[in-house]
Amino acid sequence: MAARPAIPASPKNHKVKAPQPGQPMYGCEHIQLLFNQGQAAIDTSIQHYKAILRSIFDTTPLISQTAKLTDGPTVTSLTPTYLCLQCPFTLTEEDRARHGTKKSHRFYVDSRSGALYCQMCDDIVWDPTFEELRLRKMGTGTFSTTRKRKHEDMFEASDPVRDNPTYISSNTTAASCKANGLRGIYNAGATCYQNVVLQSFLHNPILRNFYLSDGHQSSNCDVPHCLSCAMDDMFQDFYALENTNGYTAANILSGFWISEKKAFENLVTTKEQDAHEFFQFLAEELHERNGDGKRPEIGSEHSCNCVIHQTYYGKLQSTTTCQNCNGVTNQVQSFLDLSLPLENLSQKRGKKGSSRPGGILTLQECLDEEYIKSDKCEYRCHNCNSMQQARRQTSIKRLPNVLSIQLKRFEYKQGRNERAAKIDTPVQFPLQLNMLPYTNRARSQDVRDNYELARSCTYDLLTVVVHVGEIDTGHYMSYCRVGDQWFAFNDHKVELAQKSDVLNSKAYLLFYIVRSLS
Amino acid sequence: MSSKTEETGKAGVIVAPETAHPVEKISHAVLDDLLYNIVHDLLVKVHRDEKTARANTAAIKVEKLAMNAIDGATTDPKPDVEIETDAAIYKDGKVMLKGNPLKTTKEILCPRCHLPRLLHPTDGKGARKPDPGVIYCKKHPYIDKPGYDIYGQTWVAPGPGRGKKKKDQKLDPNDPSSPAPVEGSAKDRPPNVLSFPSATCSKCKRCILVTRLNNHMGSCIGNSGRNASRAAAQKISNGSNAGSQNNDNTPPGSQKGTPLPGSRAASPRKRDVDEFDEDAEESDPSNPKKKKLKLNALNKKVILKAKSPAIPGPNKKDKPKGSSMLNVEQKVDDDAAKDSTVQVLPKKQTPILKGLSPAKKIKLGPAKPPLPSPAGKKGKRDRDMESESSGTMSSPPR
Ligand SMILES: [Zn+2]
Ligand SMILES: [Zn+2]
Ligand SMILES: [Zn+2]
Ligand SMILES: [Zn+2]
Ligand SMILES: [Zn+2]
Ligand SMILES: [Zn+2]
Ligand SMILES: [Zn+2]
Repeated sequence: MAARPAIPASPKNHKVKAPQPGQPMYGCEHIQLLFNQGQAAIDTSIQHYKAILRSIFDTTPLISQTAKLTDGPTVTSLTPTYLCLQCPFTLTEEDRARHGTKKSHRFYVDSRSGALYCQMCDDIVWDPTFEELRLRKMGTGTFSTTRKRKHEDMFEASDPVRDNPTYISSNTTAASCKANGLRGIYNAGATCYQNVVLQSFLHNPILRNFYLSDGHQSSNCDVPHCLSCAMDDMFQDFYALENTNGYTAANILSGFWISEKKAFENLVTTKEQDAHEFFQFLAEELHERNGDGKRPEIGSEHSCNCVIHQTYYGKLQSTTTCQNCNGVTNQVQSFLDLSLPLENLSQKRGKKGSSRPGGILTLQECLDEEYIKSDKCEYRCHNCNSMQQARRQTSIKRLPNVLSIQLKRFEYKQGRNERAAKIDTPVQFPLQLNMLPYTNRARSQDVRDNYELARSCTYDLLTVVVHVGEIDTGHYMSYCRVGDQWFAFNDHKVELAQKSDVLNSKAYLLFYIVRSLS
Repeated sequence: MSSKTEETGKAGVIVAPETAHPVEKISHAVLDDLLYNIVHDLLVKVHRDEKTARANTAAIKVEKLAMNAIDGATTDPKPDVEIETDAAIYKDGKVMLKGNPLKTTKEILCPRCHLPRLLHPTDGKGARKPDPGVIYCKKHPYIDKPGYDIYGQTWVAPGPGRGKKKKDQKLDPNDPSSPAPVEGSAKDRPPNVLSFPSATCSKCKRCILVTRLNNHMGSCIGNSGRNASRAAAQKISNGSNAGSQNNDNTPPGSQKGTPLPGSRAASPRKRDVDEFDEDAEESDPSNPKKKKLKLNALNKKVILKAKSPAIPGPNKKDKPKGSSMLNVEQKVDDDAAKDSTVQVLPKKQTPILKGLSPAKKIKLGPAKPPLPSPAGKKGKRDRDMESESSGTMSSPPR
């Protein structure tokens, strides 16, 4: 498969990206020459580039990684190959120069990244026209700016980028070059459990863009002690002021104390509390301030278009199959986060005395347990009109834009002491998470070779909330990613963090953002 | 692997010994190729950031020259001038590169403020002294230095005994008898050592050291105060986790995973229970002695407020409008610190006020239908209050 099928030219006229202030119009002089050869040259170059990107990102790597040598044999390489922009040939790095000399073809696409190599420059060039196509392909999976993202039906909320163009983060014009959203939050007395959740909100691109585009204007809101107004103020302070010292979340705190959410009465003590409960509290509060105002009902398929629902909510489907009549019942419910029990798995690990030291679990194993494996249960079957043994299997019907995962490290034991115990088992989690296996798509069709589908279900790690120490005396801190850089947030202190710090931490809450938005 | 690279991978770092079994050689080569890919991906990423920044710098520079050449004579966004530098050509309102920007352009200009970016941190790992003659963009490389944050800041401990002592809770800058909020004199501290600020309680308007804020609000606002907290605590320690059952957002069975709220887990800085009680008693009006103390504090507060433009008005009570009205900060690294223990400066130096001007907000673009004009909002309950205090705000802080 050395030569790719040539792409029939479509009649559509392609355009070179209009010049932007502060940016050169072309990646290099040679691309400038190529584009100035006329409309036909522009059309074929862009069409070929799109076809190459499709073959790199949407098909098996066998195609783009297989090159044909000039002297005959085809080779499949693990390392990058180069796809000629001007003809259907794929070349090894060594063969690239020879092909260029023979055919006068000067532009090649790197098979790993889709980046364009210019032989005249002998360097990768970042041309605005080509680069826009590449980023769009890697993001939403489609070249179109107006079309839905691919596999729209797999996602809970409509695409916030398409529905609200202001959500596109690259347009952010902060007030100052110094105001970058990187500030600590003072501990107001056992409030680190709130700080970690607030930081995860502050560095969530969807929420940030919502508040910075006046999604909820505190100057226009009459709700007394509105927590969404307090969030709005906080986002302004983080992204508009040059302050580098810690932030005092006084309004959040008073809004929290004043809140009448009885469900969270137990949070309202001055003692250290659970960050996960605070996340739920804040999400629910903000949904009520921005959404349809309805309280999401238990187990219901509540649909709401508020920013919280667009960000965090997904849907689970549980399928119960009666063992007697094979009748199937489906139930769908919304979720704000996925809670993964650790206790059983880590005990199993311990017993097996398995190969892995210290009984390390992986996030994927925990997800397998909940969203791939089925369990037995008793249920009242309508067909049989009696209690029957049944198999129940839960999978994800709709994926959220930001996936929040709780690793249940705190196990409440009903017993003499009635205390919660902390499970300290390390759980390995990836920077990139493929959620396809846990969706009901994975079961309903053959998805093994659907690279496009898998890519649309790829999530990137965004925030890790860590609980350190004992349950009674412990402390919360978090890691958040801004671009490619990780930061460690410890109350008022913000420090640089390495990926290894992040990945070696004992996560309690994990937030992943879908690739097409990050 | 191509015929040439069968012996080793492309990186040539992980190499099997010559005598090794062919399978071993292949596995070495595979591993070596994977290493190559990791490095390749990393390089492509860094290359993109760096080359794009330099290319844009070349464009910014030549555009600037073009604008200077026409000297503001025309408002045409594409002035008819032709300018050429070593790195780029400006022609017909377009910028074209000359050569490789990695070679032609040495510095990086900020795409927003057009000032040169500082390329090395000023302290800690990899630090270099910046050129004192250059005004840099305010976005600096982050500092990586143990004990300091990304801005090179460090903090004094929140108070003697790390917040365990009761004394520092009644921070009153105008009361000479009140203890200094921090140990040592403020003057001994370098400017990058910050102290903990205070914030105004939205209910009682007292100025509370931030580390005390939660405890204070617990007793001052509570969910109707101390009793509710007590009741909640009581309920919790009875092992009832009922509250969270209302919360349907987690899949079934997840609730047991959250730490028991009654675990009374506390952060290292939590206060003792009796301290919490005392705080509650303070605001108990039936205790005349405490009441007097509180009034006292309130009086002093006015003086404090006179210094600070952030004056929460009386009818602000119901709705605190933004932290700009709430927070004051102590900056003690000042000569004025000699006279009063703490000098209170407004947290926001710039006179930005909520609702004053829509331009105050940073914008991503038109999100919603056009905002009502600020004047249109005047009818609101607290609008007058804001315009009133806005006068104070726009005068420079004393
Ligand atoms: Zn070719
Ligand atoms: Zn070139
Ligand atoms: Zn509001
Ligand atoms: Zn909602
Ligand atoms: Zn049945
Ligand atoms: Zn700048
Ligand atoms: Zn108060």
